[in-house]
Amino acid sequence: MKTILIMEDDPYHARLMRRLLEREGYSIVHADCGERGLQLALEIEPDLILLDLGLPDLDGQTVAGLLKGSTLLAAIPLVAVTAWPQETASQMAAAYGCEGYISKPISARDFVAEVATYFKPDLAL
Amino acid sequence: MVRSYKSAQNARSVDESAVMPTPAPISLIPAIEFSIEELTHIYNQSRVDYIVPMPMNAARLSEYIHNYDVALEHSVAAFVDQKVLGLSMLGVRPGRTWITRLGVLPVRRRRGAGAAFMGHHIESSRALQAKRVNLEVIKNNVPAHKLFKRFGFDEVRELLILRRPPGPPKIDVEPYKAEFLDQDGALELLSQRESESSWLDDMPSLKKVGNLIGLRVSADCGGGWLVCQSTTFQLGRLVFQTESGDPACVARLLLHALHSQHGAQDTKTENLPLSDPHLPGLLDMGYIESFRRIEMSLDL
Repeated sequence: MKTILIMEDDPYHARLMRRLLEREGYSIVHADCGERGLQLALEIEPDLILLDLGLPDLDGQTVAGLLKGSTLLAAIPLVAVTAWPQETASQMAAAYGCEGYISKPISARDFVAEVATYFKPDLAL
Repeated sequence: MVRSYKSAQNARSVDESAVMPTPAPISLIPAIEFSIEELTHIYNQSRVDYIVPMPMNAARLSEYIHNYDVALEHSVAAFVDQKVLGLSMLGVRPGRTWITRLGVLPVRRRRGAGAAFMGHHIESSRALQAKRVNLEVIKNNVPAHKLFKRFGFDEVRELLILRRPPGPPKIDVEPYKAEFLDQDGALELLSQRESESSWLDDMPSLKKVGNLIGLRVSADCGGGWLVCQSTTFQLGRLVFQTESGDPACVARLLLHALHSQHGAQDTKTENLPLSDPHLPGLLDMGYIESFRRIEMSLDL
């Protein structure tokens, strides 16, 4: 079972993302701030991280920089979640080493499929 | 002490009032009557639908209040029928005030809270004998911009918020000499500042935020200095000054030195004027535009 770490301070968005992803069989861990999210990332080494770029303690870009600067965590796919316009979101996500971004408000219909595209394929031996 | 303001929506025709009830009056309660946790909650709730929400936790809001001289006795939360509408804060410094973080909960907009906030802050500013009231509005926030224009605010300039991910410089520059300075040295540089500051990077703000470093460079293309805040994870609040030569080149040199020394830190700088001649140098050194603000002011 794949584990996704959601770093999102807005409880409504966090609940929605959790509900949609758990329904598809993902195990979800949630942090409502950057500091807790970094701790959890180190503890559980999730298969994917969804990172809200507007967090209340360390802002999202700083967290992204820390994740991608960590030898332990850099390889985990990191997806920014943001309400920024497309051009800004794309540029910012790329600059901070994110694999991509998902726009807010998330689409309940498309969200799970969007997330699935960011998982690295399992290598068959 | 609770003060009541009639909502502008109370001015209705007789026919309208026959079918619609008169809106309840808005009450403005001084922010000082709330805990920091309550203020944080109202603040965050008022911005959940913003493109750039900039949420804060209680610690960050406390720091914000301290660093920017926000007067909680002059800042207010708005209520109708005991339901919170939003929050707006007023920074106070000698001779001037600053309206900041005005926000109304999305489901409670268009009830006159914005106008109530503005009327209150202008009245307070007059009572405080301020000569000028400043504010910044996120560019393209049309309703807020219209509100501020309605109350007589004029646009002053456009300001950029820029980010740069961690990492050493990616471009080479000409040879230069660099000298890093501590907080005292940084404050000494700031005392010579010629550019117009915004409230966030004004001297009183920078003195309060602390952890300042200064940097001087000189090379064939020119010389100058920068001051910034350096914390564990982030560089911020960059202030540039060119003393000779080409500002864009001087900026490149300054940032080359800064990010060579502080390569592990993320960088965020707020309120760099769009017209700042150092801007091309920042863009060359990997700074990305995050969003823009419009600075506005009202002379009293």
